Order: sequence, then C-alpha cells, then structure tokens
Amino acid sequence: MKLLLIEDDAALAAEIAKALRAENFALDHAINGEDGQHLGETETYDAVVLDLGLPERDGVSVLQAWRAAGRTLPVLILTARDGWSDKVAGFKAGADDYLVKPFRVEELVIRLRALVRRASAHGANRIACGPLAYDAGLGTFERDGLPLKLTGLEWRVLSCLILRKDGIVPRGQLIERVYEGDAEVDSNSVEVIITRLRRKIVPARIESVRGIGYQLLPGEAS
Amino acid sequence: MKASSPRPKPLHGPARPHSGSLQRRLIVAALVLVTIALVVAGIAIGFILHRFVRGQLDSRLDSQIVAIASSLERGRDGRLALRRNLDGPPFDRERSGWSWQIRQGDATLRSSSLEGHDLPAPAEHRQDSRTPHPDHPQPADGVDPWGNTVILRILTLPDEAGAGNATIVASAPMAALSGPVREAGLTLALILSILGLCLVVGLVAQVRLGLRPLERLRRDLGEIRAGKRAQVPEKQPAEIRPLVREVNALLSQNAVNLERARTHVANLAHGLKTPLATLTMALGDAGKDPDGRLSALVSGMDAQIRHHLRRARTAALGGATRERTDLAVSAAGLRTTFARLYADKGIAFTVEVSDGIAVACDGQDVDEMLGNLIDNACRWCRAQVWIAAAFSGQGVTITVEDDGPGLDEDAAARVLGRGRRLDETVPGHGFGLSITTELAELYGGSLHLDRGTLHGLRARLELPA
Repeated sequence: MKLLLIEDDAALAAEIAKALRAENFALDHAINGEDGQHLGETETYDAVVLDLGLPERDGVSVLQAWRAAGRTLPVLILTARDGWSDKVAGFKAGADDYLVKPFRVEELVIRLRALVRRASAHGANRIACGPLAYDAGLGTFERDGLPLKLTGLEWRVLSCLILRKDGIVPRGQLIERVYEGDAEVDSNSVEVIITRLRRKIVPARIESVRGIGYQLLPGEAS
Repeated sequence: MKASSPRPKPLHGPARPHSGSLQRRLIVAALVLVTIALVVAGIAIGFILHRFVRGQLDSRLDSQIVAIASSLERGRDGRLALRRNLDGPPFDRERSGWSWQIRQGDATLRSSSLEGHDLPAPAEHRQDSRTPHPDHPQPADGVDPWGNTVILRILTLPDEAGAGNATIVASAPMAALSGPVREAGLTLALILSILGLCLVVGLVAQVRLGLRPLERLRRDLGEIRAGKRAQVPEKQPAEIRPLVREVNALLSQNAVNLERARTHVANLAHGLKTPLATLTMALGDAGKDPDGRLSALVSGMDAQIRHHLRRARTAALGGATRERTDLAVSAAGLRTTFARLYADKGIAFTVEVSDGIAVACDGQDVDEMLGNLIDNACRWCRAQVWIAAAFSGQGVTITVEDDGPGLDEDAAARVLGRGRRLDETVPGHGFGLSITTELAELYGGSLHLDRGTLHGLRARLELPA
C-alpha cells in the first residue's frame, strides 16, 4: 500500500513518515500543494494524507482540482482547524476523512487502513481468502488463524492483492503501489517477493497471469 | 481558569422615558419662552389699553372744559356765569364722580353733581400757583368730596380783567377708567391663554416631529444589535448624517479589528498545533515518555489552545453584527460530514429541516453547536440519528436524537454542569455538549437533554430565530 503525504512542516512530516513506514506503508512526500497535486494526478496511491495550510497552493484547492479531474483516490485531511465548519468545508471539497492536529499516530493509521479498505469496496475489517485473512483495522495477516510474519515489501504486495482478490492486479500497478517514488526498482524484485510470499501463504496461492499481472486465489490449482 | 461566560446585558431596561431627555428639555424651554412672551405681551397690551381708555376719558373731559371756557362769562358783580347750560349728562348725576368746577378769585361755579361741595384740586394746580396753560388742560388725580378717586383735567386761563386766573377743573370717576380696562383685560387674558395653549401643543408636536429621526436611529441601532442589520442607513437628516457616518465607521472598524484579532488568535493556535502534533508523535516513540507525563502535558496544551481559540471566536458575540444562518444548509453539510466520519458505522440519518428555517447566529457557531450534538449522537447511537428543526415561539428548536443508551437525569445534569474547570472536562460524552451549552447561552438560547422517542438521548437546542 502506498500513500502520498502532503505536509509542509518538515519535522511533522518526518515523524509521520517514520510512523507510517513502521506500519509497512510505502510513502511519497510532497512539501507543497503544487508538487502534491502533480504527484496525485500522475502516480498511483492508495490514499493521500493532505495538510490544508500549504505553501503555493492550499489543500482544499488541491483536493478540488483532483475531484474536478475525476481522481477518486481516498483523501484524509490533516489540519489544525478543528471547527465543524472547517470539517464540513473539507468534506464538501471531496475529502473522505478528517483528522485534527495534534493526533495519535494509531488513529491516523487506523483511519488510513479503513479508507483504503472502503476504497476497495470492502465493508468489513476482516477480508479472507481461503486460509488467509487480513485485518484492515490492525493491518495484520493470519494464516489458518495464526499470525503471519511478513517483511514490509511482502506486506505491501499481499495487502494489495488481498484487497483486490476478485480480480487481476496489473504488474505495473502492483509495482507502483509497493515502491516509493525515488526507489530504484529492479524489474525482477517483485517476482522475488512474490516467490517468497507463495511459500508463506500456502495453501493460498498467487497466480501469475502472463502479460497482465497477478491474482490471489484461495486454494490449490485443480 | 474558570469557564465562565460573560453575557451581554440587555440595554432595553425599564428606562425613564422623559428623565433628562432632549424632548423634555426642548419642551420646557419652549414653555418658559412662550410664558414669558405671553406675559410681556399681556402687560404691554394692558398698558396700551389703559392709555387708550384714559385718552378717551381725557378728551371727553377736555371737550367739556373747552365748552365751559368758551361760554364763560363774568358778570359785573364779579359772579361767574355760563352762557348756556353745560350740565348735560353725565355731569348732572349727583355724586357720580363726573363733575366740573370753575374758580376765579373768590367766584366759583360748579356742576350740579357736586351738590355745592368743593372739588379739591391738587396743590400744584391751585390758583396762581403756576403759569397758566391756556391751550392744554393738565392731567391730575384727585379725590372728590365723597372720598372717591377721580381723574382730573385742569385748565388755567390767563387773567383777562384783573380778576385773577380762572381755573377750570373737570373730573371723571376712576371707575370709568378701570371698568373698561378690567373688562378688556379679562378678554385679553382669555385670548392670550388660548394662544399659549395652541403654541404649546404646536411646540410639543414640533419637538416630537423634530426628534423622530433620533427614535428611528435608536431602532436601527437596536436592529444592528439584534443582528438584523450591519450598518445604519445613511438616509438621514443633515444634522444626524455625520453622526450616523461616524457610527458606521466605528462599526466597520470594530468588525475589522474583531476579524483581525480572531485571525491572529487562530494563526497562533493553528501555528502551535503542528509542533504539538510533531511532539505527540515524537513522544510516541518507545522509551521517550515512559510514564505518559509528557503526553499528558501536550494534550493539556492542546485543550488550552482549543478552549481559548473558541473563546476568542465567541467573545465578541452580543456586540457584533450577527448573521442569519440557514439550518437546512448547515444540516445538509454536517450530514455529509458525519456520514463520512462514521462511514463504518452505517448510520441512518433522518434530517427533517424545512427550507427557510434560519437562526440569528453565526454560521460557524451553528455548525459548532449542531456538529457537537450530532457527533455525540453518532458516537452513542446504534444505527439511527434523527435531526429536526422547527419554529417554536420566538425562536427555533433543533432536536438531535439517537437510539443509543441515553443518559439518566443526573448524568445529563452533570454533562451540562457549568463552571467546571477546563481540565475536568475530558473529551467524550459531554465535552461537546458543554461547549454547545456555552455557545447557545451566549446567543440567549439553551440546551435540554432528555429521553426521546428512539429511547436514546434527545438534545433540544433552542436558538433565537
């Protein structure tokens, strides 16, 4: 899962980035509205954390520009303005959630996971695929009821696949949702991660669809 | 730091309407002036009247004297005689005060009304006492033989035949002067009184009419206070227009200052929140804040900032211009907001707010009051939140109800309890409700909690329409 953080305060952005990466999220960071809007329009993100008071272009206008251009990516507004009027204005501009500074990082993470889950049209927090289950509230995987240990990259790939378990995830999209913007992506590295994951999740399996991408399936091939 | 709320005092007390009023001052001044003018006019007219009547009497006496002088004869025996009878009315009526008398040397001739008594002339007109005035009879006051005051005219003729000066005296009773003067004076007084009354009525009407723009100005200012107007209309009489311009300039200045102060406070508050957020996250790292004391300090700071930011926003209520807020618009925006914020709860919102229901409160404050109530309802409901607004009496009643566990009476009273210290109010059930109560009371409204038809908490917020 990859997020876009648009926040001009360097100290806060560093803390948020540290906390979110610790929760396995991939993260791109923009320090002003202009860059943020551009990234949101050109890259693929599972969710955006948007500060409202931004230099060059304020958060609400960035959000309105995305919505006007038909970008439906989930947006969580992060702001110091805690009046209900401010919240109403944020939601009217097209926000999906709203968090007031100062906030607890746990709440930010829970809200982001819920946003991503809802964007993938899942009603409940628990998403199952055969023996495999993902808890969108806690961000944890289980296999046959037991916790599954995953590295950050593995978690990103698997969460992406399980949220879209009813379809094929194109390879390019998977790479975009797993690697951060400035990472050097080796064309084989996704293949390596998938191979490691396949061993961890049996009997569930990840099927490669040649020339398209990958799909998570609940059981053995018949 | 007490969370007390200074409430604006009503200005429309039972004022004494005329005490020290301009109207009274003008009317009293006009009354004094009219009274003085009428009294002076009365005295002057009375004086003129007196002189006129006296002149009439004098000319009558003078013509009698002239008639006597022209028909006066002196016999060889030294006796005085008249060529014709000049004892016509009223000089023939006995003791009437109308009389005449001629004296020359020892000889005396009298009108019959004197019945042979002497008409005493004042000392200065006694025979030979002064140079004769053959042309003009002289005025004098005297007393007739019966003690009545009379008006005298005295003509002294020069000595012609060595018999000494001849003095002719004619008298008229004082009553002939005072009677008509008194009669005319009474009529005059009546006419002047009626004139005075008309003037006073006219003056009162004039003062009322003249001061009417001030009354209108008072109403306009009252409407500004009630939030129905932002400025006083400039269409005013020339004398008041500069005052109105100054008041409007003051109002604008006040609004600008208020807005600037609010912006500064908001900037300060929001500027502090980002570092606070950073601090909160940094303290979240393992080992940095083992006993949670630092985190508690940070949340205390956050609570203080929120509290004072809200106070800064609402402190100027009551004095400043208030706008009207359409509840349907406000409720619709909040419904969208809460549907997203509580997306996972799948709450069924029912909003029954007709178009056109508005309250005389600032839009942000309405959002704040209503938002806190709906937030509370969303937090505690099972599946339903019901929002309604309707006119009730002078104001509007907004009802927010949920199907949650509700509150018993004691708990409701505790939640709404005032005068609590800030650090005693913890976020959760009631924090938002006490904010709503505080705001509602600033607007002269109120918040009541009870159990509604959905069996959960029902909050009824009354606000001025």
